Amino acid sequence: MRKLLLLIAFCFALPVQATDDFRQIKWEALVPRGWDPTKDLKALDLSRLQDSDPRAMEALEKIKTLWDNAPTEPALAGAKVKLPGFAIPLENKGGKISEFLLVPYFGACIHSPPPPANQIIHVVTKKPVANLHSMDAVMVSGTLSLHSASTPWGNAGYRLTLEKMENYNPAPPPEEKRRR
Amino acid sequence: MAALRITDLVFRWPRQARPCLDITHLELAAGARVFLHGPSGSGKSSLLGLLGGVALPQRGAIELLGTDITRLGGRARDRFRAEHIGFLFQQFNLLPWLSALDNVVLPCTFSARRRERAGSSPRNEAERMLRHLDLGEELWRKPAGELSVGQQQRVAAARALIGRPEILIADEPTSALDAERQQAFIDLLLQETAVVGATLVFVSHDQRLAGHFDRVVALDEINRAAQEVTA
Amino acid sequence: MTAVLRLAALSAWSRRLTLGLSLIAIALAVTLLLAVERIRGDARQNFAQSVSGVDLVVGARGGSVQLMLYAVFHAGAASNNISWDSYRAIATHPAVDWALPLSLGDSHRGFAVLGTVPEYFQRFRHGDGEALRFREGRAFGGVFEVVLGSEVVQRLGYRLGDSITLSHGMSELGPAHGDKPFRVVGILAATGTPVDRTLHVGLEAISALHLDWVGGAPLPGVNIPSELVTKFDLKPKEITAALVGLKQRGDVFRMQRFVNQYRGEPLLGVMPGVALDELWQTIGIVERSLLAVSALVVLVGLAGLAATLLAGLNERRRELAILRALGAGPGEIFLMLTAEGLLVTILGALLGLLLLGAGSGLAAPWLLERFGVVLATRLPGNEELALIGAVILTGLVASLVPGWRAWRRSLADGLTPRL
Repeated sequence: MRKLLLLIAFCFALPVQATDDFRQIKWEALVPRGWDPTKDLKALDLSRLQDSDPRAMEALEKIKTLWDNAPTEPALAGAKVKLPGFAIPLENKGGKISEFLLVPYFGACIHSPPPPANQIIHVVTKKPVANLHSMDAVMVSGTLSLHSASTPWGNAGYRLTLEKMENYNPAPPPEEKRRR
Repeated sequence: MAALRITDLVFRWPRQARPCLDITHLELAAGARVFLHGPSGSGKSSLLGLLGGVALPQRGAIELLGTDITRLGGRARDRFRAEHIGFLFQQFNLLPWLSALDNVVLPCTFSARRRERAGSSPRNEAERMLRHLDLGEELWRKPAGELSVGQQQRVAAARALIGRPEILIADEPTSALDAERQQAFIDLLLQETAVVGATLVFVSHDQRLAGHFDRVVALDEINRAAQEVTA
Repeated sequence: MTAVLRLAALSAWSRRLTLGLSLIAIALAVTLLLAVERIRGDARQNFAQSVSGVDLVVGARGGSVQLMLYAVFHAGAASNNISWDSYRAIATHPAVDWALPLSLGDSHRGFAVLGTVPEYFQRFRHGDGEALRFREGRAFGGVFEVVLGSEVVQRLGYRLGDSITLSHGMSELGPAHGDKPFRVVGILAATGTPVDRTLHVGLEAISALHLDWVGGAPLPGVNIPSELVTKFDLKPKEITAALVGLKQRGDVFRMQRFVNQYRGEPLLGVMPGVALDELWQTIGIVERSLLAVSALVVLVGLAGLAATLLAGLNERRRELAILRALGAGPGEIFLMLTAEGLLVTILGALLGLLLLGAGSGLAAPWLLERFGVVLATRLPGNEELALIGAVILTGLVASLVPGWRAWRRSLADGLTPRL
């Protein structure tokens, strides 16, 4: 019986996968593998330090600076991905948006500090989209590319050519599911 | 063929408990000139409504020119009325904002049959009739509301008769006229209906006018509902 | 059927006074509704087309809407200027790709004068990334040279080589810089943006104009003729605002923080896309309220029409009885009354549209000067046609009431109404 159910579920899953050839990724995937800014902090054994030791603060500041100038993952160039985020309009054509920035959390432009360079995606639409407002939660699907430019905050930025955009309603946290 | 035959007619207004018309039999021959004596309260208006096909009796048959109009649908009754019956009321017969001539031509726009029977040009026929009724050409294009009552009644008569309908029903047509004019108007009606060969049903409460008609029918004699009230 | 409709039209004509008042009421209501919708749409369109490809608009700290208005629309006024040093600090920041300084405050016969650099004509983008083009001539080079927008030329009739003088402040009533005339060296092609309504001069020209001025007025007794201005240092000390483009658009948050936290003086950096979005959200509430009120006014007008027709039914009972006697059915009576209401509604809507065309022609110059909004006199767009359609549909529904009443009356009255 279980095998039958599994088979049926699989049959349903397959067609869905076939039409959706965008790989859903998380924001962490935009950080290069193996890049770890916390190396120095880990090297310090915090339990051995005195209170208010300047080295602890220095190490933390170093992490923040590194994180600020975070690099991009070159392997993602050309990848067809899908991920959720919050939209910040750049080019507003009377209600239709032709370019916007996608950030991982709400209020990225007013909270400090802003997200690091590899956690901001510059989305370019093929056709301007209507009804997109500042901080709307959306699920974007498109092709990633890397745009090189030498700036004090990194050498390349992520760009996405938009294929599809939907409203995003985040799923409820796991605790609630278990309660049912 | 009788112009009008009523059989076992019973009619009651929707909100009334008792019928206002109960007529077992009434028959009028074609071409007859009938004076229908109906004082107010005798069910006269109801009868006119039924004859015009704007109301339906609860029971009975009304045959006009051989057709039982109680069996016809609403649109068919409207069409029958347009094609075969001319109406003449006491006053306000005409649309005041149309010219006298346009008023006369009206039935021809509502009925193809009457338009045909009015000849090649209904307007010419209307002019001929107005001239015949002693209405000067200067009055033809005036808005009907500007004519005197006597003039209006004559225009109304022309309108009722254009296109030679088979039946003319006149409801108190002289009551708004001066005493001297009343006789002249009745003569006019009798003359014109004879020309077109129509059956004239002249309804009035005034007995004194009955003299010139072939037949006099007293509504409160044939209407049993009216008798019950007075009895 | 057509006979009845023709009679309906003639009957309506005979009552043209009362129906005419209803018609005018509906027309005015429709004009109001369409005007609100048109201004709404046009204002949005205008704002949207005026700036493209700009990552940050920088000015003195103050309101972000105000900054957008004077930096992009050359309307309104800045409360403060920003120093040339602050501007250079931003322009030379390694994340910045390009920066354009803007100096505002002077005018010429109602049009704003913009002091900027010649690169403006290559860098500036509008609409969908379109660049500026010269219809005639070239950018300014010498101190007293000016480039005109297309509308300035159209309205004032200037030509290449003409000589014009500028006024201080935004109105003709201010003191004039009559001793320093400018020569027209370039005319820009039309863009449909505030560029058309602006005169462009170099930053040095703005400095030169105010050399012998202090505090907004000329120094008495000091008069430096235009030939001698170059003897003085004409480098600008302050500008009003700047447009900034970045190498990576994603860096805009960091750049904005840099600007807003700049130690030199209080500055404000605004993302145009976000500022416009916030503007629309705020205005949106007002817009929707206005639209709702206008729709209500239309409803009032239509209710008035229905009431007029209903009130007139009593007098027309004889008229309807005559039509019935002639062979009209109750259904045709119903249609006649409904058609009458619908006809008045349609004529009212059309009249409203005409009034809008005439009115927008009259009000356009005032709107332009006050708010920088261009209200074009043009054929109705899709949204406006949809609104007119909705009005006519509502008018039809409203007309059903007297139609139905007439139908019922007609059935009850028959041929002999008891008057």
